[in-house]
Amino acid sequence: MTRQRWMLGVGALVWIVAIGCGFAYLFNYSVEAGTPAAAPERWPAASRVQAPHGAYTLVMTIHPQCPCSRASVTELNHLMVLLRHERVKGYVLVVKPADVPDEWIRTESVRAAGRIPGVDVIVDADGVESARLGAATSGQVVLYDAGGRLRFAGGITPERGHLGDSAGRQRILSLVRTGTADGTDSLVFGCDLGATICPPRPHPGNSGL
Amino acid sequence: MEESVSAVMRGLGQNAAGRSDDLYREQLHERRGKADRMFAVLMVAQWAFAVALALLVSPYAWAGKTREFHPHLLAAIFMGGGIALFPVLLATFRPGQLLTRHVIVASQMLWSALFIHLTGGRIETHFHVFGSLAFVAFYFDWGVIATATVVVAADHLIRGLLYPESVYGIPNPEWWRFLEHAGWVVFEDVVLVWFCLSGLKEIKAVAARQAQVEALKESGDAKTAALEMVLREIQPSLAGGAS
Repeated sequence: MTRQRWMLGVGALVWIVAIGCGFAYLFNYSVEAGTPAAAPERWPAASRVQAPHGAYTLVMTIHPQCPCSRASVTELNHLMVLLRHERVKGYVLVVKPADVPDEWIRTESVRAAGRIPGVDVIVDADGVESARLGAATSGQVVLYDAGGRLRFAGGITPERGHLGDSAGRQRILSLVRTGTADGTDSLVFGCDLGATICPPRPHPGNSGL
Repeated sequence: MEESVSAVMRGLGQNAAGRSDDLYREQLHERRGKADRMFAVLMVAQWAFAVALALLVSPYAWAGKTREFHPHLLAAIFMGGGIALFPVLLATFRPGQLLTRHVIVASQMLWSALFIHLTGGRIETHFHVFGSLAFVAFYFDWGVIATATVVVAADHLIRGLLYPESVYGIPNPEWWRFLEHAGWVVFEDVVLVWFCLSGLKEIKAVAARQAQVEALKESGDAKTAALEMVLREIQPSLAGGAS
C-alpha cells in the first residue's frame, strides 16, 4: 500500500509538472508579439485609401486566414462603437496574394469587418497598401490625425487571439478624445503577413496630405 | 434468564450506532464514486469538444501563404488529453478515493483555463469556471471546493504577476482588482460549502434511520429468539405442573 501511494504521489507530481509546462508553452505563445509596424510618420500620398478631410483615419491590416485576427476585428468593432461620436474613419485592409482564389479571403474575420459601422473593407492585392503603412503583422492598427500625422501604431488586443481591454485600445481612445495618451504604440498579436505577399516597405517620411 | 435477554437488547443498541457510521461511510463512498465516474465521462467529452473547437476556431497559424498547425490545436489534442488522462485513470481504478476527487477537481478547473485560451478569452467561456464549481459540489466535500478555488486563484495570481493584461486587459490594474475576481468565486464557494455540509447531515440522518430500521428488525428477531429461549426454559416446569 505504501509503495502504491508513493507511486500515485509521484504520478500526480509528474502530471502537474507536465500540465504546467503545457500551460507555460500556451501562455508564452499567447503573449509572443508579432513584428511591429514601420509606419510612415505622414500619411502616404500614394495610398489609394482615402483619408477623410478633417477626421482621424484608422486603418487595420489583417491576414484573412489568421485566427488571431478574429479577436482584433471584434476589438475594432468595440473601438468604433466607443468612437462613434468622434470624427474617425475606419478601414480594414485585407491582404490578398495575387495567386490565390477569391475564396481565400472569404473568412469570418473579413465578414465581421464588413459589418462594423463606419469601417470600409478594402481588398489589398499583394499587400501593396499594407506595405505603404509598414504593416508586418495581422491586426496592426495605425491612426493618423486630420493633419495626416501618425499618432498611433500597434495592436488592440491584450494577447494573441484574445478579446478584452488593451493598452492599444486605451491609447487610441485617449488620443482621439483628448489629443494625448501615455504612449503611441502597443504590441501587435497576430500572424506574420509574410514578405512573400508584401513588397518591400517604403522608406519612412513620405509626404503627407 | 432476564440478564441474558437484557444483554442481547443492549448489544443491539450499540450495534445500531456502529451500523449507522458504517452505512454513512458506505453511502458517501458510493456517491463519491458515482461522481468520479460522471467526471470521467465529462473529461472525455470535454477533450473531444476542445479538439473540435480548435479545429473550428484556429486550425492553422499563418505566415504569408504558408501555414502550420496552430498551437491551440496541438494544445487541445495533447494538453487536453493529458488533463483528462490521469483523472480518468483514477476514476476508473480508484473511485471514491480522496486523491481521485482532488485530482479530478483540479483537472476540471484546468479545463476552464484551456477553454478560455482556445476561445480567445470570450466572456461566455468564463461561465465554465462557475459551472464547474457547482459540479464539484456533487462530492459533498468542502475540501475539493477549496482545491478548485486554489487552482483558479493560482492561475489568476501567476498570470496577473507575469502579464496582467492577460487577466485584466490592462498592464497596470488597480491593486484591489484581484479581489473583485476572487470575490465572485468566494461568493459561490460559501453557498456550495453550505450545500455540502447540509448534504452530509442529510446523508448521516438517512444512514441513522436505516440503521434503526435494521436494528428494529433485528430486535424483532431477537425478541422472538428471547421468547423461545424463555419458553424452552419454562417448558419443563409447565409440563411438570400439568402432570
